[in-house]
Amino acid sequence: MTYDVIGIWVAALFTLAIYSFLYRENPLYRLAEHLVVGISAGYSIAVTYDLVVGPRLVDPLMAGEGWVLLIPGLLGLLYLTRFMPGVAWLSRYPMAFLMGTAMGVSFPLTMKAEVLRQLEAAMVPVYSAGMPWHIVLGNLVMIFGTLAALIYFFFSKPHKGPFFGTGSKVGIWVIMLGFGATFGFTVMGRISLLIGRVQFLLGDWLHIIK
Amino acid sequence: MSAVNFWRKLLNVDRRWVFLLIGVVAIVPFLFPVGMPMTTTAEVESIYNFVDSLGTDDAIFIAFDFDPGTDAENMPMGVAVMRHAFSRHVPAFMTAYTPLGHGMMMSGFEYVTDPATDGCYTPVLFDEWASYRAAGITDREELVAAWEADGHALPDNSAGWVFEGRDYALLGYLPLFHLVILGMTSSIEAQYPEDAHGNPVGEMPMLREHKSLREVDLAVSLAGSSACQSWIIYGREKIGLPIAFGVTAVMATDYFPFIQSGQIIGQMGGLRGAAEYEVLMQENGIREDTDKAFTGMDVQSAAHLLIILLIILGNVAYFGGGFHKQHQLKSGR
Repeated sequence: MTYDVIGIWVAALFTLAIYSFLYRENPLYRLAEHLVVGISAGYSIAVTYDLVVGPRLVDPLMAGEGWVLLIPGLLGLLYLTRFMPGVAWLSRYPMAFLMGTAMGVSFPLTMKAEVLRQLEAAMVPVYSAGMPWHIVLGNLVMIFGTLAALIYFFFSKPHKGPFFGTGSKVGIWVIMLGFGATFGFTVMGRISLLIGRVQFLLGDWLHIIK
Repeated sequence: MSAVNFWRKLLNVDRRWVFLLIGVVAIVPFLFPVGMPMTTTAEVESIYNFVDSLGTDDAIFIAFDFDPGTDAENMPMGVAVMRHAFSRHVPAFMTAYTPLGHGMMMSGFEYVTDPATDGCYTPVLFDEWASYRAAGITDREELVAAWEADGHALPDNSAGWVFEGRDYALLGYLPLFHLVILGMTSSIEAQYPEDAHGNPVGEMPMLREHKSLREVDLAVSLAGSSACQSWIIYGREKIGLPIAFGVTAVMATDYFPFIQSGQIIGQMGGLRGAAEYEVLMQENGIREDTDKAFTGMDVQSAAHLLIILLIILGNVAYFGGGFHKQHQLKSGR
C-alpha cells in the first residue's frame, strides 16, 4: 500500500513537472523528460530479458539444452558490434537477416491487405436497383473523390484544363476535408490525454473526484 | 487603441493564456459534472454486438498494442472489452505488442479485478484450481459450482469469478509481434509455451479448445501506433480472423477505410469510442455505471467548444484586422 502511495505521488509530481513546460522550459521539465526516456528503455530491457531472453535463450543454454539457440543468440550479439568501430560492419548481418525475412514474410500479405483490398473496396457499383439514394451519393463522392485526389498527385501533366485543372482543384478540396477530419480527431486525442492526466491528479492523487 | 491594434493584440496573445483556459475547462466539468447525453455509432455497436454474440465456447484476443503515452485513450477500451468478455464468459487471451504494452496489459487486468471497485471480477489463479483440473472439472459452470461448493464465496461487490486458463490467459509481450501473430495462426502454444505468470499454456483448458488463431473468433487490437495493422495483415488476410480496432483519435481517420473494405468489423476511435462502449454496456445491463471514458466526455465537449470559439475568434481577428491582405503579420509570426 505504501508503495502504491509513493508511486502515485511520484507520478503526480512528474506529471506537474512535464506540464510546467507549458509555462516555460525549465530544469524540472528536462529532468522528467529524460527520466521518461531512460525508464522506458530500462523497463523494456528488463521485461524483454524477463520474458524472452532469460526463459528462451539463457535458461535453456545454462541447462545444456537447445544448442541450436546459439545461432540466433550469436546473431543477436552481433548487433552490439555497432559500438566497436573496427568490427561495426558485422552488425549488418543481423540487420540484413531481419530485413530480408521481414520483407519476404510481409510483402505478399501487406500488398493484399493494404493495396488490393482497398482497390477492391473502391470498385463498387455506383447504382443498383433498390439502392437507397444516400448510398448512391456516398459511392459517387467516394469514387470521384478518390479520382480527384489521385489527379492532384499526378505530376507528369500540368494541372491545367478541364480534366487535370478542375480535377486537381477538386482533389485539393478532398484532401483538405481529410486533413480537417484528421485535425478534429487530433484535437480530440490531445484533449483525451489531458483528461486522463486530470482524472489521475484529481482522482488517484487528490481524491477530489471518484 | 485603434481597432487594428486591438485585433493585432488578440492575434498575438500569449499562448499561455490559452493553455490556462484549456486547463480550467479540463478541471471544472469534473467538479460539476453535467452528464451530457451521448449517442453510439455503428462502428462501436458492431464490435459490441459481435462480442455480445459470443459465449463460453468461443474465444477472443485482446491485444494491448499501446504504450503508457496513450493509456488515457486505449486503456478504457481494453477495460470495457475485457469486462464485456468476462460478463459473457468468453475466454480472453491477452497479448502486448511492446514491452511497455505488457505493463499496460497487467495494469488493465488489475483494474478490472481490483477488489476495491464495485463490479470487479474476482480472479482465481491457475495454481489455485489445479486440483479441479486434475479431477477433470474444466467446464465453466461445473467449475464455478465445485469452487463455490468448497466454501469459496464471491465478494458482495464482485460481478463474478474469472479462472486463469479457463476465462483468461495473460500471454503478454513477445518481440517482433507481427511474426508472433503469423506463428499463432498455426499454434498459440508454439509462440507462448508459458504465460506472463509462468504457467504452462498448453495445460490451460481455453488453449486446448482454441489451439490457434484459426479457432479464435475475434481479435481486438487496442493500439496507439500502426501495430494494429499487423492483425489485419497476418490475422485477417491470412486466415480470415475477424478484427476490431480500438485506436487513438489521431489514428482514427486512417483506419475508416478498413471498415468500408470489410477488413475490420468496427473501430473505437479515441476516448469517445471507449465511452460509447461503456454506454452500450450500461444500456444493456452489463454494468450499472459507466467508467472513466464516459466521465471524461463532459470535459471533451467543453474543451471542444472552447477550441471552436478560439478558432472563430482567431479568424475574426485575422480578417477583422485586415491581416489577410498582408503577406506577414507585423510581429513576424
